[in-house]
Amino acid sequence: MSSAAKNIVLIGNPNTGKSTLFNALTGLNQKIGNFPGVTVDKKTGSYTFKNNKVSVVDLPGTYSLNPNSEDERVAKKYLESTTKNDLIVVVADATNLKRNLLLFTQIIDKGKQVILALNMMDLLEKNRQEIDLNKLSKLLNCPIIPINARIEKGVDELKYAIHSFKPKEHSFIDKKYSANVVDETMLRFNKINQIVNECTTKNGENKSYLLTKKIDNIITHKVYGYLTFFALLFFIFQAIFSWASYPMDLIDSGFIFLCDYVNHLLPEGMLNDLIVNGILAGLGGIVIFVPQIAILFAFITILEDTGYMARVSFLMDRILRQFGLNGKSVIPLLSSTACAIPAIMGARTIANYKERLITIMVAPLISCSARIPVYTILIALVVSEDEAYGIFNLQGLLVMGLYLLGFATALLSAWVMKLIIKSKEKSTFTLEMPIYRAPRWKNVGFEIISKVKIFLFDAGKVIIAISIILWVLSSYGPGNSFQEIELKYSVADLNDVSNVEAQSMMAAEKLEASYAGIIGKTIEPAIKPLGFDWKIGISLVTSFAAREVFVGTMATLYSVGDEDNTKSIREKMMAATNRETGEKLYTKATTFSLLLFYVFAMQCMATLAIVYRETNSIKWPIIQVIYMGALAYFSSLLVYTIFS
Amino acid sequence: MTLNQLTETQAGVIKQINDESLAIQLLAMGFILGEEIKVERIAPLGDPILITSGTNYISIRKSDAQQIEIKL
Repeated sequence: MSSAAKNIVLIGNPNTGKSTLFNALTGLNQKIGNFPGVTVDKKTGSYTFKNNKVSVVDLPGTYSLNPNSEDERVAKKYLESTTKNDLIVVVADATNLKRNLLLFTQIIDKGKQVILALNMMDLLEKNRQEIDLNKLSKLLNCPIIPINARIEKGVDELKYAIHSFKPKEHSFIDKKYSANVVDETMLRFNKINQIVNECTTKNGENKSYLLTKKIDNIITHKVYGYLTFFALLFFIFQAIFSWASYPMDLIDSGFIFLCDYVNHLLPEGMLNDLIVNGILAGLGGIVIFVPQIAILFAFITILEDTGYMARVSFLMDRILRQFGLNGKSVIPLLSSTACAIPAIMGARTIANYKERLITIMVAPLISCSARIPVYTILIALVVSEDEAYGIFNLQGLLVMGLYLLGFATALLSAWVMKLIIKSKEKSTFTLEMPIYRAPRWKNVGFEIISKVKIFLFDAGKVIIAISIILWVLSSYGPGNSFQEIELKYSVADLNDVSNVEAQSMMAAEKLEASYAGIIGKTIEPAIKPLGFDWKIGISLVTSFAAREVFVGTMATLYSVGDEDNTKSIREKMMAATNRETGEKLYTKATTFSLLLFYVFAMQCMATLAIVYRETNSIKWPIIQVIYMGALAYFSSLLVYTIFS
Repeated sequence: MTLNQLTETQAGVIKQINDESLAIQLLAMGFILGEEIKVERIAPLGDPILITSGTNYISIRKSDAQQIEIKL
């Protein structure tokens, strides 16, 4: 055996435990990238066996080499690009041998070197079926390794088989028939049928399959089905908003501590300010959402892993189709309530381009967790905490109303786009209903880690860049206006004004004189009809980094020393007056108008970056900014006009 | 007769699938010509439907089911 590194490629039908095997083989030695030119995740990893390093590529699940979706096209293309140095490991579900062998025979006939890994041997036993592995191996002319990837049984044997693999010549069917794909497939199935019948014995009913159908009688029932779904949704929302608050508070205080520490560590000046108020503040704004994203993805992975998601898609397809969406849009739309970024990435499973595009385009209209701090502070301006409507807390009702508004608008916009966007591609909903199984907790863990990583790095890069730009805009002004302010306050200091107060007043004046302040004042005429002044204008600009930056900007604008003291921000905002009329600024009209603006406007650079990446075109993010901006502007205008 | 005409729990044998790309897709998902096909369940709003053949269990829309010719 040569000591050269080997490359193995994992391929197999969806739901065969391919990813579980990949995790079992590589452990934490894995990374996720992209296949060139497309947005399908490419999972690569490695392991060492007998001092040989073996690299592993996990291809997206595919039923055959006749692709039907982006994922399948990628799998086929990659497989065809492999050389004789690559060993293909076909992962097959032992309980559904016939169908799984189709892909195997297609790969054999491509002249590839193959090992067959038969997964789910435990289920086979449970269902009282047997496969004569020796015979099967002889008839298929290929090494077969039985595995149970869930408990990592057979993984070492597989590694050994890969290590000692000897290339051979083989083919399954004659090439001359391959003119017609349907005929060719039938030819393969006829031969597979003979082989499978020769090698398998059934001693009883397939119990897990029967149980699955019994569960489906409830899960897809016209009453209980929807009830189960909404009960689960309610539970997930509770979890995202209540459980996540503890780690979020911890992260928040952690960053405050870190900012404080760095602030004291570095000498005062520009660098200190850039790191603390530019980079660290931006970073804190991202990391704070990690708990919610982790919890959301834990639930989504569990629901997908158990097989439940396929049923929800089945229940919702008819309704969503009305709006130009697909049953599979359910997952992205739900994920959007945490963050539009993973949601937009999750739209990849939708095979139809138009439906996928519409899902991506409307997902950011659904209120994400970054809007929560904005909603909280604004709603408190018009409704006090203990106001109630019957047994319902009025603040809570308003928040729910804003969520429903976002959701309804997303559906409506989808419907409009369905009428506008032309597509000749056929829309289908051909989705396998996997049998119900307990979630694989390790997979759930891996999935959370990988999604959080993507969020932190992909979105993080953009947010930090924007944070730095915003920091520059708000820390510098034209000419020597800043020096004049500083000069003024150093005189004021001598006049025995309390130091803290003087500093925060100086900060507010500086912000007004800064480029951001100038932008705010420049756009004031445009946003005046909505009831906004230049200070709100500044926060609309800074909110482009992330919506929750609104709170921090308000804190600076109203010179509140302590950013986290939302109570004092609220008090200052309540006391704020209109420059011209001298009346209260945050009236019901202005506040509702601002709330609506935040429901609809596309104020998230990171989401735009992801939309650009996923659609491979600058056109769609631009359209998104314009249509959501128009929605925000005109609905705010309407509400302000009605209430004032 | 086509598959969309079956009621819940009714079964037939797949004779032919008229749409070629659908035929290729369904074959790969284990729905093989000449084998039994059964409508397990029709979604609460009448569409899509859940169908089985052997242990293969999938959901398809009625418009696609219309392309699947069956014998009772």
